[in-house]
Amino acid sequence: MANAWRWFHQLGSPKYLFQKTGQWLPWIWGATLILLAVGLYYSLWASPIEVRQGQGHTVRIMYVHVPAAALSMIAYIAMAIAATVGLVWKMKMAFAAVRSIAPVGAAMTFLALFTGSVWGKPTWGTWWEWDARMTSELLLLFLYLGYIALHASFSDRSKADKAGAILAIVGVINIPIIYLSVKWWNTLHQGYSVTEEGALDPAFQTPLFLMLGAMYLLFAALVIMRLRAEIILRNQKARWVTEWATGQSTERGDA
Amino acid sequence: MILTLLKRELKVARRNWIGLAIPLLFFIIVVSLFPFAVSPEAPVLQKLAPGVIWVAALLAMLLSLEQFYRSDYQDGSLEQLLLMSSPTSVAISKILAHWLLTGLPLVILSPLLAVLMQINYGSAGSSHTWVLMLSLVLGTPTLCLLGAVGMSLTLAASRNGLLVSILIIPLYVPILIFGASTVTASLENMRYNGELAILGAFLLIAIVFAPFASGRALKISVG
Amino acid sequence: MSQSQDIQFDGLYAHELTVSRSEQVLLEDADLHLAPSTITYLYGENGAGKTSLMRCLAGLLPEDHGVVYWNKKPINHPDSGYFQDLIFLAHSLSMKNELTIAENLRFYANLRLKGRVHQKSLSNDISGVLRELGIGGLENRMFAELSAGQQHKVALARLMLEPAKIWILDEPFVNLDQKTRGWLADKTLAFKEQGGVVLFTSHHHIDELPVDQNVGVEHE
Repeated sequence: MANAWRWFHQLGSPKYLFQKTGQWLPWIWGATLILLAVGLYYSLWASPIEVRQGQGHTVRIMYVHVPAAALSMIAYIAMAIAATVGLVWKMKMAFAAVRSIAPVGAAMTFLALFTGSVWGKPTWGTWWEWDARMTSELLLLFLYLGYIALHASFSDRSKADKAGAILAIVGVINIPIIYLSVKWWNTLHQGYSVTEEGALDPAFQTPLFLMLGAMYLLFAALVIMRLRAEIILRNQKARWVTEWATGQSTERGDA
Repeated sequence: MILTLLKRELKVARRNWIGLAIPLLFFIIVVSLFPFAVSPEAPVLQKLAPGVIWVAALLAMLLSLEQFYRSDYQDGSLEQLLLMSSPTSVAISKILAHWLLTGLPLVILSPLLAVLMQINYGSAGSSHTWVLMLSLVLGTPTLCLLGAVGMSLTLAASRNGLLVSILIIPLYVPILIFGASTVTASLENMRYNGELAILGAFLLIAIVFAPFASGRALKISVG
Repeated sequence: MSQSQDIQFDGLYAHELTVSRSEQVLLEDADLHLAPSTITYLYGENGAGKTSLMRCLAGLLPEDHGVVYWNKKPINHPDSGYFQDLIFLAHSLSMKNELTIAENLRFYANLRLKGRVHQKSLSNDISGVLRELGIGGLENRMFAELSAGQQHKVALARLMLEPAKIWILDEPFVNLDQKTRGWLADKTLAFKEQGGVVLFTSHHHIDELPVDQNVGVEHE
């Protein structure tokens, strides 16, 4: 317990975090690429087409759509958790994490909307359907864009961090309310789900879980890269950054 | 303490009444555009009425937010208030004043719009108007509370104006959904207590969280 | 943590204070003691961070590091009573254009005294101070209608109407006529005699006001 606490504190140190993430990054990228290759192979070639609902090849869109949609939610929750850590323990690196997650989360939300739209054209016959999930995703995208816009509107970064953190927390309280309201508003939505038993044929499960893993890793890799850039940006004046940038030091950390 | 703050808010706003009247005028004018754009036929207007009136109310609330926060921030009195009273009570007095001077007049004006939008077309009494007013009574305070959080967050931001709308409108969606559907349910002669209860629940949740969040945000903006 | 150590100093004491604005460190690990019955002159170039330091001591700007104590208690401690004792006059005058002079002053007095004030005698006090400042009889004029110099005087009148133990004044002498400078210097000295703590900034040295302590903020 004491160890975990110490580690938590060390993560608050920009230099430590930069070095550690530098060590992890190649491994995460390696795993991402391997899993992505296998996942894409399974989802594009080595899996059957859908016949029961007559979706045919378009079912393959699901292998990107579902992970992106899952990540869009998880990313926002992660933002809110980091924001809380930042506000409660005054940890600046947590704010850097919030800022790093936001654009990646927004991209995932956009991807979920885009693939949903592409999937919707052959399935529903329209690019856009005001169904509960799509509408919630759209509002989630607005929440992300709101955070990014708010953060960008301050000249003082520490104010931007704190104001953004409050917005992220207010947003996360509202997400279930928004989701349930929208669901109530439009109860006619397609009931696809991974966890619901029997809803998904096992043949579709292998590629889906592979792609879920791959996309989670991809998300982590992208966030860590952004976080490292944020750390450098926020500590420009620190000596270790100068040393790292000019290559004077041996402890570059990343390979 | 809150009473002292509230009295000052009301006095300042009263001397600046034109700033308060403009959002209300906007409320009426926006609604009166719809017959021109869609159709003056009563059944059509009646069908649109809940949505149109609620959207107009929401926009009017957004428009009026600036007046209640911006000038205190700019002339430095916000930081004096935060020195002498707790951030939460500053937020509460702002929210109360905002509702009394914008939300309440909207509620009072809404029967006029109900007439313009033919909300009671085909029914003998004026029960739909009462439902509309009731939905606004429960919904507009939540709009004030959430708007206060958004406004407090954007005070120190360089680009203002529309920024607060972008932050707050997604959060307004649930209130809009249930506010408008309360009235729609009434128009369709269905029960609307459920919708009203949910509007009330939103209000309670907002009362618990929003003043605190707004106070924290005010403190950050001033710091 | 530094909260647990015993602070020996009365008045305002900042311990190992680090203040920054827009990620620029203005003050690092500074100790500053403003004892009761002292007047401290804070000097420094424009942009060196005088205002930021004052705002930090007033509890408005969060410090990066360090603690500010008021009578041996951290200022944010509920028992310190700091915000009850403090009048902070900033560069912005903090008055509402839509209110009259009397309404503005009465609002702040009521807020500080939590309404426990005799309104009639407060009105008399307001009239008295405004007369001393040479703007007598303007109580019911709108704040917006005054000239810049008169508006500044109204802000200064707060010092006489609200009981306090510490004044933090940002550029109080700027744009004042000779007579009002003398008035402010006299009142500041009288406040000091009663045990008050004063911290003020100014561009020029103020001849009328003998200071006990000079504190400089410098650019790196």
